[in-house]
Amino acid sequence: MTTTAATTPAHAPRTTPGGAPGDLLGAPLDDAERALLEIYDRIVAALRRDDLPPCVAANLRAALAPVAVAVTDLGLRFEHLTDLDV
Amino acid sequence: MAHQVTDQPFWNPKTELMAREDLAQLQLAKLRRVLAWAKARSPHYRRTLAAVDPDRIRTRDDLARIPFLTREEWMASQEAHPPFGELPVTGPDRAIRLHTTSGTSGRTPLRALDSRKDWSWSAEMWCYALWGAGVRPHDVGYVAFGYGSFIGFWGLHNGLEKIGALTVPGGAQTTAQRVRQIHDFGATVVASTPTYALRLAAEAEELGIDLVNGPVRRVILSGEPAGSIPETKALIERKWGAQAFDTAGMTEVSTIVMFTPAEQPGGCHVIEDHLLEEVIDPATGREIGYGERGERVCTSFGRSTTPLIRYRTADLVVRVPHTATTSGRTWDLYQGGIIGRVDDMKLVRGTNVYPGAVEAIVRGFDGVEEFQIRISRPGDRDEIELLLEPSTTVDDTAWALLSERVGAELADAHEGLRFRVRRAATGELPRFELKARRLTDLRPAV
Repeated sequence: MTTTAATTPAHAPRTTPGGAPGDLLGAPLDDAERALLEIYDRIVAALRRDDLPPCVAANLRAALAPVAVAVTDLGLRFEHLTDLDV
Repeated sequence: MAHQVTDQPFWNPKTELMAREDLAQLQLAKLRRVLAWAKARSPHYRRTLAAVDPDRIRTRDDLARIPFLTREEWMASQEAHPPFGELPVTGPDRAIRLHTTSGTSGRTPLRALDSRKDWSWSAEMWCYALWGAGVRPHDVGYVAFGYGSFIGFWGLHNGLEKIGALTVPGGAQTTAQRVRQIHDFGATVVASTPTYALRLAAEAEELGIDLVNGPVRRVILSGEPAGSIPETKALIERKWGAQAFDTAGMTEVSTIVMFTPAEQPGGCHVIEDHLLEEVIDPATGREIGYGERGERVCTSFGRSTTPLIRYRTADLVVRVPHTATTSGRTWDLYQGGIIGRVDDMKLVRGTNVYPGAVEAIVRGFDGVEEFQIRISRPGDRDEIELLLEPSTTVDDTAWALLSERVGAELADAHEGLRFRVRRAATGELPRFELKARRLTDLRPAV
């Protein structure tokens, strides 16, 4: 199975003055925000694989949509995901 | 074991309580990305944003460099490039939902595509409203809606599920069946248009179901401006024994953009972390200040498939600062919700007539079931008629008093313009489940 590679324009995450990853305003992330962002990044990475059976790919897409919304709610990342069919 | 925090009054405290300077920066950061996204992928925006450098949009004043989008442009694009026009960034193969505008205006409906994330975002905007109104996972939500291609309460349904409330889809039912289900299932939250909320209440009375002393605590309204007309809102609250909460949005955005918070400030908070709203003078296109009536212009950050950038909604609003309410949110409000449409004002013998203003007067009287406004020109002079359908308990004596008082208040509010008040027979006037249309202008077009 082949999935489409994401071609969303890359927007590097903001960093805090100390160089740590920050939110869209450059504020440092708290533990819960870091945990959420890690889940988000891992689902995105998983969806870029081309060896996922339909049941996995479809459920990962369904899972990623609300996770992406939560990430945007908190202003951690803001990107559209249509290239991943999400 | 993790548990949901139900005593938290805000769905998203991080942005609902965000300092306004930070909120403005967050909006601009999102706007730059939406501009880049749309310009790179949408044939329509590739043309209209050709001269716009997203990275140079640094302040709110820079918004003026971005062209407006009108409904007419969207429609023209749809007609020239059917079925979806050139706004979408992708074809239907990457979307999971197709919805249309209601078509109640008589115009060809707009069609809009949504991706999975768009659709989840649509529900999320409803969650801000539902949570802000006090809806919680223990609630039973009844959605009195037809579940068609019109977007209506689809997002609310998904928002209720997202919150964890027990969600009852009330589609494909008669009004009587819906009332019985609301009663039998112990609904604590009911969603409908304001007009239909009154119709459900009237049906309950006929069925002998006591809504006032029943479990419904919140009525979530959308689809018509009446949810923020104080007289209509008060009538709904009286008939249901519940608090009413206005919301407003549009299919073009895919969801709601504003909601009444629990504090009931007489207006609706704009969901400012996901939308950038401007209020402009419809004649000049320039942004106007707090407290002035103008046209709402909407930019959505959430809809990826069909980007919406500086869309002229034709909704009339009055923006006021967040300090107008004690809710604690830093988001501005629209006082009175959507107070009308740019194009719904009628000029009758030199007097401005707004349907919403007429409704505010009519709903202030007990015993009115339905009404219609008809404007005609039988000779060389405009005439305006109000057809009132009273409830069956209104006898001839009560009708004489009611019609006289309604006529007098309408004249007072319209520079002496005399409305001919006529009694309609029981069941004569149309009932509405979706957007009510209560004004007919029969005058020849100029």
